[in-house]
Amino acid sequence: MRIGFTKMKLDCYQRTFAHSSSSLTPIQLPAHLETHLWYVKPSEVKNESLLKQYLDILSPRERENVMQMRGEELRKSALLARTLVRTTIARYQINSQINPRSLKFRKNIHGKPEVDWQFSNDSLPPPLHFNISHTSSLVACGVTVDSQIGIDVEEKHRSIKHTVLSFARRYFSKHEIQFLASITDPQVQKLEFIKLWTLKEAYVKALGKGFSGAPFKTFTIRFKEDSIHQASEIVVDSFDEPTELTSNWQFSLLELANSHYAAICTEKHAASAEGKRNVPTKLTVWKTIPFVVDECVSGTDAVKTIYG
Amino acid sequence: IYAPAPNSHSLYLDKFVFTNCQNTYIHSFTHSSYSPPHSLHKFADPFSSLLNNNKKIKMASFAASPVSFSAVSCTVKPNQVSNLRRASLSFSGKSSPSRRIPALRFRVACSAKPETVCKVVDIVRKQLALPDDRDVSGESTFATLGADSLDTVEIVMGLEEEFGISVEEESAQSITTVQDAADLIEKLLEKK
Repeated sequence: MRIGFTKMKLDCYQRTFAHSSSSLTPIQLPAHLETHLWYVKPSEVKNESLLKQYLDILSPRERENVMQMRGEELRKSALLARTLVRTTIARYQINSQINPRSLKFRKNIHGKPEVDWQFSNDSLPPPLHFNISHTSSLVACGVTVDSQIGIDVEEKHRSIKHTVLSFARRYFSKHEIQFLASITDPQVQKLEFIKLWTLKEAYVKALGKGFSGAPFKTFTIRFKEDSIHQASEIVVDSFDEPTELTSNWQFSLLELANSHYAAICTEKHAASAEGKRNVPTKLTVWKTIPFVVDECVSGTDAVKTIYG
Repeated sequence: IYAPAPNSHSLYLDKFVFTNCQNTYIHSFTHSSYSPPHSLHKFADPFSSLLNNNKKIKMASFAASPVSFSAVSCTVKPNQVSNLRRASLSFSGKSSPSRRIPALRFRVACSAKPETVCKVVDIVRKQLALPDDRDVSGESTFATLGADSLDTVEIVMGLEEEFGISVEEESAQSITTVQDAADLIEKLLEKK
């Protein structure tokens, strides 16, 4: 498969159509304090031959996993998740053109997926980190450089089988239960619950230790208020970890496409952590249909920043 | 139909009777008496753990092509069964009236009781709002059924409520299939 590329840089406020049916518009790696977020909506990918093209770039093992999913919708979102990871990373043209099909992945000791760079001995692996999350209606991939990242997306109006408070009592910390219990409007309470869930998931995924590595009850995510009592920052407090470690993490919370909450947790860099000031990370968001079109949606209605 | 000896331990599988005592009866059947229902369950081999090494059950092999079926995986432990139990056995697929199905071939089973697996299946079905024709068995993984992390924790909550147990995060993380969940539940119930 030939990867063509245009000479255009993928600036924001642009809608870029692929140069050819199998090309990916290349992009610069995110900067030191920058996060890139790519997402695809399965409902917008209907072309059968495009889906076949996607299936073709997966590894045999990934293909097998996709085909084992029970139900067409699940197969599609599983396919798009792997496609999004491969095509997103391949865009960053680390040393030369990378074929998304040639990327290899492995899991760290806790099971967190990472790229298994296939470079020769003298080149250092690029410091690219990624994390994906998917629901049946949206698949997202976050990318950073030099910083661990965890993301989680959920449908805003996702149904849960238990009540918010019974769920919180089972899994959330005392502070979080109190926060949710203090919300009188059940609809607002449910939305806040979903936000909190995505933030907690994103944190655990960023840590990369798995669900049992940081049980939900052992840490609190809360909204720090500034001097005029406005929520200014999302912070995490942990019973087990000292403050120096938990203050290493920063959060963003977005509403995507009016339908989903997306939480992003990344490591603060040494420089900013020392300064003890919250240096905001720049976040750029693209909506994509790999090989077809990329649309930078930062600053549009598709991306509403809630915190961060 | 063979009747089981009164004090034998038996597991009924519709018209089949298996016992784990000295006398073991197996019933073969003709498929014409069955109409294919919707759901499928996986069949399992209860015999590998039931029987001592000398005894072998002779079973003719099942012709897979006319009717395909599976049933809830299970074994019956000698000290476990005191009542006659039912496990549902259902079939689907085309059956040709002219072919008599000789018998069944079983595969190695799990250790959880079929009711436990069935209850887990029920909870999973409800949580994931699965269509009736979605096949769920002990071997089904939560991931392939479409459970994300929120579904998984809700399923764990549902199991805790149903069985009156408490599942730790490490254990919850190791559960990938319906069978895993059923086995863990029984392990926790034993400890109580």
